[in-house]
Amino acid sequence: MTGNDKRERNALNRLADALVDDIFNTSDEDILAEFRDTHGDPDRYAAEMRELFDKSILIANKKRLAAAKAGAAASRKPAPILSSGPIDMEAARARLRAIANTPGIPQRVTLAARNENELSDNDILGMLDDLRELGVLPPDDQGGKP
Amino acid sequence: MNSGQVATHRSRDEIADAIRTLTRADWARLRKIANYYARPQIGPKDLLQEAFARALDGRTCPAHVDVVKFLAEAMRSIADGEGEKVEHRLPLVSIVAKTGEALPEALNHPDQSPTAEGRLIGEEEAGLLRRNILAIFDDDPVAQIIVEGMMEEMNAEELRELSGLDKTAYDSKRKLIRRRIDKQYPEGWTP
Repeated sequence: MTGNDKRERNALNRLADALVDDIFNTSDEDILAEFRDTHGDPDRYAAEMRELFDKSILIANKKRLAAAKAGAAASRKPAPILSSGPIDMEAARARLRAIANTPGIPQRVTLAARNENELSDNDILGMLDDLRELGVLPPDDQGGKP
Repeated sequence: MNSGQVATHRSRDEIADAIRTLTRADWARLRKIANYYARPQIGPKDLLQEAFARALDGRTCPAHVDVVKFLAEAMRSIADGEGEKVEHRLPLVSIVAKTGEALPEALNHPDQSPTAEGRLIGEEEAGLLRRNILAIFDDDPVAQIIVEGMMEEMNAEELRELSGLDKTAYDSKRKLIRRRIDKQYPEGWTP
């Protein structure tokens, strides 16, 4: 909405702002007298509002609790299993060589795998991870990982 | 915080304590303010309750700002439909959705309060309300011209000049204006 589209609404907002300013410049006695005229007993109203506020606190606290629970649940999620033991790089390289000789494996993979002796350990492990993600290797096949 | 540092903002608990200890005159002021900022889409009570929710949501309340003024500004912002509330609540919804955890019943209810867009009063409705407010003063052209000036954000000096009133008469007229509007709209502004 542009300013022109809100001309009427802006006029009302400006009037409201001016009236609110007047409210802040009016004495407690006058405010209470006016309130009695239009809304009745200010003590009863104050008590109702305090009750409403207490309810609002309860609702806000429930929300905080829910958010805390959600945060705790997220932090309890099992972390990805990271191998902590030593990696058998010979076994990993052998696994990659075996894959290279498997029929049906894309040529791009087999060419790379056949040159495994030129690849670093990290490259080998990365390729095995990629193959696992592609479904060429079953998820529980850890290559050379313990 | 070091004991020598002065807090620049009220904590959530401090805001809550300040609201709990409001006087009956403060509550009366808040009700009147809620009436002025209420619109057909959100009534005075809902507006005030939403302002409480914002205050408890961790909104920043500078230590020097009076809590009544803080709540008044929150109501103004809500009524103005800045969409702050929607923006503020979405993360909670998405976290809940991700965890799929059962929540207390109260939190599973869809948000019944108007969305930012829903709060936007239609121009047509606003135009009708503006005309109705001015019509309250059909019998008092001086008051009417002051109200029109207030709608145009004229300051007190300009309004006094416009109305041709001295300060005392002008102050008295402003009071009359407010009281007549309050009597006409005891439950907030609706066309």
